[in-house]
Parts: sequence; structure tokens; C-alpha cells
Amino acid sequence: MREPVVGLEIHLQLKTKTKLFCSCSSDYIGATPNTNVCPVCLAIPGTLPILNDHAVELAVKMGLGLHCSISDNTRFHRKHYFYADLPKAYQITQYEHPIAVGGYVDIAAGGKTKRIRVHHLHLEEDAGKLVHPTSDGRLTGASYSLVDYNRGGMPLSEIVSEPDMNSAEEVLAYITQIRQLARYLDVSDGEMESGSLRVDVNISLRNDDGSLGTRVEIKNVNSLRSIERALGYEIARQNKVLDEGGCLVRETRLWDDVAGVTRSMRSKEGERDYRYYVEMDLAPISAGPEYVEEIRKSLPEMPWEKRERFIRDHSLSEEEAAQLTEQKETADYFEECVSAGAPAAKCANWMRMEVQRLLHEMDLPIEKFPVKASELGKLIVRVEKRELSNTQAKDVLAVMAEKELPVDEAIKACGVSCGKITGPALEEIIKKVFAGEPEAVETVRAGNDKKGAKVKFLQGLVMRETRGSADPAEVASLVNSMLK
Amino acid sequence: MEFHKLSALEIAEGVKNGKWKASEVLSAHLERIRKYDGRINSVVTLSEESARKEAEAVDRAVAEGRDPGRFAGVPFLAKDNFCTEGIRTTCCSKMLEDWIPDYDATAIKRMKEAGAVLMGKTNMDEFAMGSTTESSIFGPTLNPRDFGRVPGGSSGGSAAAVAAGFAPLALGSDTGGSVRQPSAFCGVQGMKPSYGQISRYGIVAYASSLDQVGPITRNMKDMAAAMDVLAGADPNDTTCDAYERPSFSDAVLSGIKGKKVAVLTGFDSESMDRPLVEAIDRAAEYCRAAGAEIVKAKLPITMKHAVACYYMVALGDASSKLACYDGMRYGHHADGRNLMEMYKRSRNEGFGKEVRKRILIGTCILTRGYYDNYYVPATKVRQMIADEYAELFRNVDALICPISPALPYRKGLVEEDPVRIYLGDAFSSAANLAGLPSISLNVGFTEDGLPTNVQLMGPRFGDAGLLALAQAIENEAGSPAVADIEKKGGCEE
Repeated sequence: MREPVVGLEIHLQLKTKTKLFCSCSSDYIGATPNTNVCPVCLAIPGTLPILNDHAVELAVKMGLGLHCSISDNTRFHRKHYFYADLPKAYQITQYEHPIAVGGYVDIAAGGKTKRIRVHHLHLEEDAGKLVHPTSDGRLTGASYSLVDYNRGGMPLSEIVSEPDMNSAEEVLAYITQIRQLARYLDVSDGEMESGSLRVDVNISLRNDDGSLGTRVEIKNVNSLRSIERALGYEIARQNKVLDEGGCLVRETRLWDDVAGVTRSMRSKEGERDYRYYVEMDLAPISAGPEYVEEIRKSLPEMPWEKRERFIRDHSLSEEEAAQLTEQKETADYFEECVSAGAPAAKCANWMRMEVQRLLHEMDLPIEKFPVKASELGKLIVRVEKRELSNTQAKDVLAVMAEKELPVDEAIKACGVSCGKITGPALEEIIKKVFAGEPEAVETVRAGNDKKGAKVKFLQGLVMRETRGSADPAEVASLVNSMLK
Repeated sequence: MEFHKLSALEIAEGVKNGKWKASEVLSAHLERIRKYDGRINSVVTLSEESARKEAEAVDRAVAEGRDPGRFAGVPFLAKDNFCTEGIRTTCCSKMLEDWIPDYDATAIKRMKEAGAVLMGKTNMDEFAMGSTTESSIFGPTLNPRDFGRVPGGSSGGSAAAVAAGFAPLALGSDTGGSVRQPSAFCGVQGMKPSYGQISRYGIVAYASSLDQVGPITRNMKDMAAAMDVLAGADPNDTTCDAYERPSFSDAVLSGIKGKKVAVLTGFDSESMDRPLVEAIDRAAEYCRAAGAEIVKAKLPITMKHAVACYYMVALGDASSKLACYDGMRYGHHADGRNLMEMYKRSRNEGFGKEVRKRILIGTCILTRGYYDNYYVPATKVRQMIADEYAELFRNVDALICPISPALPYRKGLVEEDPVRIYLGDAFSSAANLAGLPSISLNVGFTEDGLPTNVQLMGPRFGDAGLLALAQAIENEAGSPAVADIEKKGGCEE
């Protein structure tokens, strides 16, 4: 079996308020077609692109997160092709001088850590979207197409990896890592479903003699699952062709998610000449050392740093730390919870079990969870002080989440009394229970409760009545003495 | 009152002090255009209605004691590649025949804000590609100094209109000489400022790294005032420099005493029209008379390679900038069985022969295999040309050289000898390649009444100093008079 060799091109849509070269809103999802457009992104004659500084900042951030070096003097190029989604008939992109070069990310796959090298990261604008009005949404057969330019000119950063991945597991781990980083840095939403993270896969097989086979690019893989399936299909296909003595052609293939196959889209011979050429309408970008340093200083803690720190400072296990740092918001929540005075191990436990369960039930992301981290912290502290049992605390948390109440009010709403029920208060409850069960009381007092079953029954009723707020030992002794 | 003989500043002065109204100045100019433009075809669109409103607004401002602006009531024209809100902007091409922009180019906006009144749009070579103003869909413009000759191009309509007294000021765009060469052919003053001096926003692009807006006037004081109005940073054009501009109107009067001015030598003056060689000498004499020191200079790299380099850079860029005309969102549209066929038909039908030729050459230059052999060397040569000028201007303040090797061409030469016309850009295109300021200045006329202009060049962003030099020469040579087109041709009056 030949070893698969995979490199990825990941397009991240940058989280800017406006497009890359004009002041149109970037909030295009769900917008009426062709409303987020202006003379610049429609290529009206006479207009000129104006570079969005924020996009540069985000690209630099991402570049630094990928351990790249940031180029001081970079330029844009024009990539020419005629298509209806591209009003200028060229895409403004970076070609010879990308803004960030030579980085890496460490991924965990197959129980090991592996370093995947990043060739470069560059900035470019997105194209518009073609809408084909056939009922099955296919390109062929429609007598006309519609174009929506809302997405045209959206800022993208393309991250090009070296061909350092050798399995679907590594590929998925790499994408997940990039996505996590993008979200940590607040550079992109990184959602494959909405298209803010898009992946093109380059795959070849390494022959037994170590030489690399013909490279094939796979497009149209729109979820981690499709990437995994497409890789599986393509590895099998390429192996089969070679096993049968055939030759692979260098080509671009489209993944068909329904049929579960890749299909040839265009071969190398048909590869377009994009006539790359310097974009003279834009001055060179100067991301000088001071600028880069300023951004570097503003970078938040990286996910891997946070993971290490959680293990070190909060004595969490690898698994706990990984789970809690997967999303920055979860990690933040955890830390706030801890700073409310709750022990880290307990916080981790509550978050991984109860909070997770509630989020799942409520179908909410952590940042929308109605219980404030500090309130959860207070709740855990009360359990620690034995003011509440675990069971009670779970009920209270459910009420906090459901009714959006702080701890104290939720406890009242639950009907849980605050603190322990003891002494005369407990005696009162026992009297009430006895009054309700005269037969059982009589049986015991008559000395007919040979196996002690009735006593246990009465103790159980008292415990239920106190909702677990009484000390079982005190209940037992009081019940016994009061039965005498 | 012969309004058409007044300079822009004289008109503004009279409007401001109530001597005359902007509206009557406008009427006089419109009337002259209506009466005589049939002879030279310099104006392709008149925007009388909006012009009247603009002039009335100026008159109202004066009546109410508000500042009506530097160019209060000055009627002006703009080349038809300046986007003008509500006024069709065709680039004199079938491609944009019906296109009406909904915004004003920054240059237009600045003129209007200064109180100038836009009368209409002028004829040009299609998409500014040409040197004769003969490739317009509206037909050729004729030279107001001699109807048998071309006005030059591509801003031929603007230059001819200023020479004909249709406006004291017109705007052109200059990619390789398109303001300066027609100014020379029509006997007016034309300037291409330093690259980055005036915003390109709203100018339909020919070549991004070469295009620059340029004013055309009949005297240098108007030119300096126009520079004051037009130059300045623009948030819509990041290639327009943000530096603090000096007052060009102050600078133009500063004189050239003690300045060192070089006269270009070492070029083939034998193949040039004799009066133009003499014009250089005359200009140098005027400089000396004004107190400047005259030296000689050679620019071997520029003289040998500028034209070839210019056409590589310009056409490469043109093929890219003109790719947006696919007939889908604006411009000429032709149907086809599929998208590519629509594109091909729309572009084939929409663009004229010269434009198609230049796009094809430009596309070829940027194509894999040719790019390294043509475009890349051209960019290197371009840098060498810029360096050669930079070196020159370390030692001298300005350069005097020809702007065109030839007096205005006879009509139709472009068909007979296109290469000769391309080579005509030999002296003018270097300023664009190096981003330098350059002025086409009239220093008199031949016995036959043909204008003889020279070119003045200065260091990058040395526009103010260059204006002072031009003014000093103009003081000696006199500013060119309005062409008496009413007497030519024999028809009417």
C-alpha cells in the first residue's frame, strides 16, 4: 500500500466589518442578493481598490499564530480569468510576496504530536456566487444563471500547507487545529457549513521507492466528513489505477458528496494561465517590524499554551485540559468559575458533565449559556461547604439555567432551604412525618418492628422531607429517640 | 465682451467682483461651442442643463456674499473618460456608448467645489488609446489651428476645445503623452503632474501605474491654479500621495534665477521637424534670459528604450484593466449561447480595432512564456529609466526636451504609418514611466501657424518648480492666443 501524501489549502474568511477593498458590509449571509455591493466591488469603471487595514491585521495575527515570519514589504497581484463571479475579470490576491511565510502547526494524531509545516499565508478577495436556477441545483441544464456579488470582495486568507500529512486523521486534526487557532485569535468564524472555512485537498501517493506520484487536487469538500470520505475514495482510486498499471494525470477533481466519488474537472493541460501581474492600483503593504510587534503583543494566549497552563496551574489531566481549551469561550468560562473560589478539579468536572449536558439539551454554545461562570463558581463553593448536596446543586443549576437566576434565588425557587436542617427544626419535621404514619409509629413503639424495616422507612421519609439537607446520622438518632 | 478670450482666473475674478455673471460666461461659451464645434468636433456631450444650475449656484453664492470658490463660474470641459454623475461617459467607445456613471471623478468633484462649471465632455481616442483622436466612435476631432491636421491625442478634444476658445480650461488624462502631445499639436499648455499628485479615482483606467490627470489651459497661471484645485490626497485612491502640497499659484511666480536647466542632446534631431528643434533652442534662450544657467544633458537609456518599454507596461496593464468590460453589468452586451460566447461577442463588437489590438498585444505580453521575456525586462528598464532621470535631477533643476518629434500629423497618417505614430511617444512616455511632472509649453508658432511646443520635465513631486520654469518661459514667449476658427473654413460669418 502506497503512503498518501496530503497538503491543504485552507481559505479562511476574515472577520472584518467590511470587504477587503471597499466599505461594503461583510455581513452577507442571508442578505438580499446584490445589496452588499458598491461601485468598487462591482468593478464600475474609474473605481479603485482601497485596502482594508483590519484585514491585514487579522492576516498578520493568523500568520503569527502559525509561527510564520511576516514579510515587511508585500504586494498584491492580479489573477486574471473571465467568469461571471468576478466583475473585474481579475482577482486581487497575493502571489510572489505573501504576507506571512514559513510557519507550522503541531497536531495530535494517532496518539502522537506531529509538526505540519505551513508554506505561507496570503490575503485575497473572494468571488461572487453563481446561482443556478434548476430544481436540483446542478450547473448543467439551466438555461441561465444568476449572480450574487454580496460575497465578492470578501477578505480571505489562504493558508497553504506543505504536503506533510499522511492520513485522513492527520488532515482532520490539522483542519481542526487551524480552525481552533482562527477562533482563538478571533480572526475567522472558521465554519465549514457557512463557508467561512473552505478546504482544497492536494493528494498524491508515495511509491514504494520513495518517489512522489502525480498530484491531484480535490475541490468541493464542504465538511470534515466529506474530506474524510473524499480522501478514502481518492486514495483507493489512485491505488487502483496504479495497481492496474495505469497512469494518473495531474488534474483537479470535484467531490460528489451524494455519489461518494471524485470526478475530473480539468486536467493540467487545460490549466488556465492566470497572467499573474502586479496590482498597481494598490501601494505595497508595509507591515513593518513595529507594527508586527504591536500585533504580537496583542495576541491572546494560544490554545496549546492554555492547554499546558491548565495542566500545570490547575492540575488538570491532559484530557480535561484539552476538552476545556477546545474553545476559548469554554476555557474563559472555566477560569472565571475557578476565580469565584471553586476548586479547579470540581469546576472541570461540573463543566464537562453538567454544563455540557445542559448546553446540549438547550442547544446553546457556551457563550450563550444563561448561567454566569461566577454563579456556577458560587454554587460549587456551596457544595464544597456542604451547604448543598450534589443532587441539590444539580437541581439548582438546572433552575439557574432555565430561569436565568443567580444562585440564591434559584435555591429559593427550588425550595431548597439554605444550610443544614438540624435540632428543633429537624424534630418538627420528624413529628410531622410521624403524624402522617401513625401505623408505622405504633408498630415500632409496640416492639413489633423486628427487622427494623419500619424505622428505616420512617428515616427515609424524613430524609426525603428534608431534601437531603439533614445529616443522615442525626436523623437516625433523633428518629430512634423520638420513637421511644 | 469676448469671454472666450479670457483666462480662467480672469473669468473667476470678474464673477467674484460682480463684473459679470457665471451664467452669462457660460452662455457665451456654450454659444461658441454650438456655433463652431461643428468644424472641429471636439465636444461629444454637452451638459447644458446641469451646467446652468451650477452657474446659477455660483451667481447665488456671489449675490449672498458667500465664497464662490477659486474657479467661480469658470466653464470647463472634461475628457470623456472622466466619470461624471448623470452625464454619459463613453470613452468614445461603442462599449460604453450609453453608460451614465452615478458618481463624479475626484478631479471633477474638486473642480465643481471650486466653483467651476462643467459644460460637457470632449472627444478622445477610444479608451485613450491613440495619438490622433481619430478612433472615436463620434468621429475624428480636427486641429483648430489647421483643419487638415489631427489635434493629437488621446486628449485631442480637450486640447482642441481650449485652443478653439470653447473653454479656458479642460481636463485630460495622460498615460504616455495624452495631455501633452495634443496640447503641443493644438498650441496650448498641457501638464502631466507627478504620478500621485492628482487622484485617479473616477478616471476610466488605461494603465494604472501610468495614468495621471492633467489640466490643459492657455496660460501657466491658470495651470497653477488648476493644480491647486486638483492636487491633493484622496481616500478613494491610495496611489495618490498624501504629502502636503505647496501653493502652486505662489510657486509659479517664484522665477528661475540661479536655477540650472538642462537641454537634452544626443537624440536624432535630424529626423525631427525642424521648427521643433528650433523651439528647444528658443526655450533655452528664454530660460537664460530669465536668469537660469543652461547645461546639456543626455539620457541614453531613455532615448533608446522608453517607447518599447512604455508599450510593454501600458498594454500589459490595459489588457488587465479593460478585462472588466464583459457586457454583463454595464456596457455593450451581445447575446451568445453561453457565457464565453457572450463575452467574446460583447468585447469584439464593443471595442474598436486599435483597442482590440492593444488588448491582444497586452494579453500576449502577460502570458506565460512571454511575460518573462517582455514584461519582466520592461519593468527593469522602467526602473533604469527612472534612475537615469533621478541621477539627472541630482544635478539640474529641470530638463527641456521635445514633446513630439513632429508637427501635427496630417489626417489619416495613423492608417498609413502606425509605427511612426507609436514612435511619436518617444519623448513623452518617459515622464509616465518615471512618474515625473512634465509640461507641454507653447513657445510660438511656425510661419504656417502651426504650434511649436517644448517639453519641460522635473523631479518627482517637483511640480511647483516646474511651473515656475514654465511661467518664466511663458513670460518671454507669450501665452498662445485662441485659434480663430471662426475665420477658417469660410462657412458662416
